Amino acid sequence: MSDNKLLEVKKLKMHFPVTSGNLLKRKVGVIRAVDGIDFEIKEGETLGLVGESGCGKSTTARCISQLHKPTSGEVLIEGNDITKAGKKDLLKARMGMQMIFQDPYASLNPRMTAGSIIAEPLQIYKNRGMLNITKTEIGEKVESLMEKVGLSHHFRNRYPHEFSGGQRQRIGVARALALNPKLILADEPVSALDVSIQSQILNLLTDLREELDLSYLFIAHDLAVIQHISDRVAVMYLGKIMEVSGSKELYKKPLHPYTVALLSAVPIPDPKIERERKRIILSGDVPSPDTERHNCYFYDRCPKRFDKCKDNIPALIDVGGNHHVACFLHHDEVAK
Amino acid sequence: MNNDIILKVDGLKTYFNTDDGIVKAVDGVSFELKRGETLGLVGESGSGKSVSNLSLMKLIPSPPGKIMAGTAIIDGNIDLLSLNESQIRELRGNKIAMIFQDPMTSLNPFLRISTQMIETLVLHQGMDKKEALAKSIDMLDLVGIPNPEKRVKDYPHQFSGGMRQRVMIAMALSCDPEILIADEPTSALDVTIQAQILELIQSLSKRLGTAVIMITHDLGVVAGMCDTVIVMYAGRIVEKGTNDEIFDSPKHPYTKGLIKSVPRLDRPLAGRLFSIEGQPPNVIDLPSCCPFHPRCHKVMDKCKNTTPEVTKLENGREVRCFLYEGDK
Repeated sequence: MSDNKLLEVKKLKMHFPVTSGNLLKRKVGVIRAVDGIDFEIKEGETLGLVGESGCGKSTTARCISQLHKPTSGEVLIEGNDITKAGKKDLLKARMGMQMIFQDPYASLNPRMTAGSIIAEPLQIYKNRGMLNITKTEIGEKVESLMEKVGLSHHFRNRYPHEFSGGQRQRIGVARALALNPKLILADEPVSALDVSIQSQILNLLTDLREELDLSYLFIAHDLAVIQHISDRVAVMYLGKIMEVSGSKELYKKPLHPYTVALLSAVPIPDPKIERERKRIILSGDVPSPDTERHNCYFYDRCPKRFDKCKDNIPALIDVGGNHHVACFLHHDEVAK
Repeated sequence: MNNDIILKVDGLKTYFNTDDGIVKAVDGVSFELKRGETLGLVGESGSGKSVSNLSLMKLIPSPPGKIMAGTAIIDGNIDLLSLNESQIRELRGNKIAMIFQDPMTSLNPFLRISTQMIETLVLHQGMDKKEALAKSIDMLDLVGIPNPEKRVKDYPHQFSGGMRQRVMIAMALSCDPEILIADEPTSALDVTIQAQILELIQSLSKRLGTAVIMITHDLGVVAGMCDTVIVMYAGRIVEKGTNDEIFDSPKHPYTKGLIKSVPRLDRPLAGRLFSIEGQPPNVIDLPSCCPFHPRCHKVMDKCKNTTPEVTKLENGREVRCFLYEGDK
């Protein structure tokens, strides 16, 4: 891992308008899916992004790859802000940044063969004249990619329905690797898979990281998976980052009450430990992200809230050892 | 007949006729459920855990599905599988209730919660509507829905995912069933909500003395909740034992692999995870062999052409593997 920042996200906000009316659309509100987050990924690093459904983890990934145009904020790839980049620059940036999606059934075109799915990114960049590659080279590249992700190249003419879920996810990984990217945005890549297949794909991703010197933004809701694969972990809640820290540190010494509750809610596959564990059961549900908030985003469900949390939003502050937390229990800094 | 045993399933076989051949979704499943016990049924997708329980409720769409053989004796005298449609309707929701994975699709979006809850109570308990409404409100209160008098009039979309699952539980338990089948009740929910729902099922089943069959793929859920655990693979039970035994000393190579391949929060591991290589089996026209043999690291010649039988070990432990044939 080097100290070069590969990706930097600054004050990123993504607000989706809520409209009403058929012909004359009126804006009646906004959903604050991502509400001002900052983080960075260094070269060769894996950042795990974890949170419950609706907290904005997937939207974050989509904003980084510019599938959503963010409302405000910057996304810097090797120092260049791609939110303001022109089409050509954006295409170039996307070459170094590929996505793996959650559902291996929906993310592959059922009418294309495995070979043509993996070749598609190469083909697109070739057609645009941004990649100098011949047809035979594409063929060879596809075969080597398939072998790399553990699929026999004899399968290249098969269609997605002829593969099992785990194999399809391997096709998705091969497609993401086709353009030799530096950064992979993996949006819940293992949550649709069975336990025994999940560990195969996690191992594949770990091996590829070593071999190709990749960086991952790894999104998942499973904390054990995140712990296994990440160097650093960011915990998101309601469009805000609550805590960021090195993976070991975060799991050993979680500071934010939300992280503590989240960790205590994860079942551990060992009956003896389960019987003795004390769970912090959070009451209530995640509030709707449709209102602007002036208190701590976790205020409604926090078991440790006090007066200050009610009217101030805590800033995400380093409390030592590169452990950032947004909670007044650990510092007094108010977010601007 | 042991009075403690409330449900005894013996040799259940459910097959599906498809264009590609016969899918033996459940192929000879036998187990017993004791009164008040929580039984965990673990397996990967396609292992037959849901189909075996849908068969018990006779909810298998037929055709293509068909219950080929087996008995399921409830209360020591009624065989669920031989009942006709109207007889089973009296038991469904009354003696055996079920909660499903997706709380959105299992509630009718057009009807108020009250209508849906009252229907069950009027039908099975012979209450009039007023009594049924009062009972519904009580049940909603029991499962922790705030302001139940008002919320009972709401429609399903007005509830969040976790709340809907609470409504489902309230509905399932409203007729005091003896058996509650929970089919992946928390797989669609977030961890913090999952913890709430699991605790609710656990405390209510204890309080009402309901036996629970908990179907899940999450070993953590099983470890925290169940008394007995059954592991299924390719339509068959491969291992059965108490919760502690299964996790302390798993016998079947598949169970061992499954437990080892889950990343654990309390025991982080650097480097690679253990993984069971290969793909899940195709259950169409399974030849006579151990279905796990292509993925098993302890495979012997015998496993490739004979199907292992169940070996009974001490303490009611069962395993279906040739490795333990001599250890009776």
